Amino acid sequence: MKQIVGVADMKVSNNPGESIITYSLGSCIGLVIYDPAVKVGGILHYMLPDSSIDRQKAVARPYMFADSGIPRLFKTAYQLGAAKQRMRVYVAGGAEILDQQGFFNIGKRNYMALKKMFFKNKVMITRQDVGGNVNRTVRIEIATGDIYVKTSGSGEVKI
Amino acid sequence: MISLQTLVAEVKNLKPIPAVAGQLLAVADQPDSAMADIAKVIQYDPVITAGVLRTCNSAYFGMKHPVESIKDAVNLLGIDQVIEVALVRSGSQVLGGTQKGYGMDEGDMWKYSVSSAVLAKQVSVRLGLKGKNTIFTAALVKDMGKIVLEKYVADAAGKIADLVENQHFSFQEAEKKALGIDHAELGAMIAKMWKFSPRMVNIIRHHHLSDETKIADKQIAAVYLADCLCMMLGNGVGADGLAYRFKDQVMKHLGISAVDMSMIIADFGINMQEVETLLQMA
Repeated sequence: MKQIVGVADMKVSNNPGESIITYSLGSCIGLVIYDPAVKVGGILHYMLPDSSIDRQKAVARPYMFADSGIPRLFKTAYQLGAAKQRMRVYVAGGAEILDQQGFFNIGKRNYMALKKMFFKNKVMITRQDVGGNVNRTVRIEIATGDIYVKTSGSGEVKI
Repeated sequence: MISLQTLVAEVKNLKPIPAVAGQLLAVADQPDSAMADIAKVIQYDPVITAGVLRTCNSAYFGMKHPVESIKDAVNLLGIDQVIEVALVRSGSQVLGGTQKGYGMDEGDMWKYSVSSAVLAKQVSVRLGLKGKNTIFTAALVKDMGKIVLEKYVADAAGKIADLVENQHFSFQEAEKKALGIDHAELGAMIAKMWKFSPRMVNIIRHHHLSDETKIADKQIAAVYLADCLCMMLGNGVGADGLAYRFKDQVMKHLGISAVDMSMIIADFGINMQEVETLLQMA
């Protein structure tokens, strides 16, 4: 079965029959985590770096923001038996429009917000496919932890 | 290079946007237009009327009693909502389908168009711009040049990819270089042949703001900004991805800060249900 993660959404699973997919990451980030020992994996698809712009929205839709969404992704995986030290971490998205700079570059800011949180919490990124001007779709198979990325206009590639 | 005659012949073969959309726009953004005028325009097009009534009676609007006429719909939902539904139904007939040359699967362009239109509406409301129905519609149909251009883009895919990836061209600049025309120019040509207003033709022509003298036009700038936001959000984006140019000056001119931009994105995240509802109308 395919579990779909919408925009500002998250899914975590330990069902080996499932794969989790999130479509069309532009400047948004798709954060994929997987613990191979217990076969628990999940994807978070967040839109913006920082919930301080609108606390109410962060309460209503915590997966919209990096700072409110990322801790929930990890905690949900821990509840299913995953452990931080075993976690594989894959990051996709954070694309930018040509010449998009500074604070307007939300793709880069989305990625920097994640890096900052990971640095503080000692989380290492295993692999990543971020930045550039492309649109990405990312999928993980829970049974194997295999991750696939599709860029608009080309086929799906296993990474 | 594609000859103009070839393109004109292709545009003539397209199924046009129903005439009701143009008539509706002609009255909708007049400050003194009456509800009755607008209802009159819609009700003479049976397909659009049926579509509007079906949408108004969908679970999303949660009506207690069935909406049976355009007049009822206007009274219950308000004029803006009914205009929007009518415009979206008109557009869906042209913008559905696949555009393989742009790496767009079935429904991708339609999803992108509706998302852009909803974002454009948010931008025009936030900035209190005049002509919000024109802005909404221009954002909805701005990429219709891609419908005709897609097979030429497919034929020139290698050259376009090389220009974008290795020579720092935007996708639109690469179209122009490889084919002699880009999708914004061709979209404007289609709009002209379909007798859209000169205003609409102008917005479609300049929606990527390759001509920077157009930045002062707030309606063009709003459609441009909505398009940028839509690319960033990724809904229905094709192989051209985000390979267009971002212009800081537009943000300054519109008075949009990076925080405003984030707020519009956050609002869109909350209002995605609206996009889903509009998409189901197709």
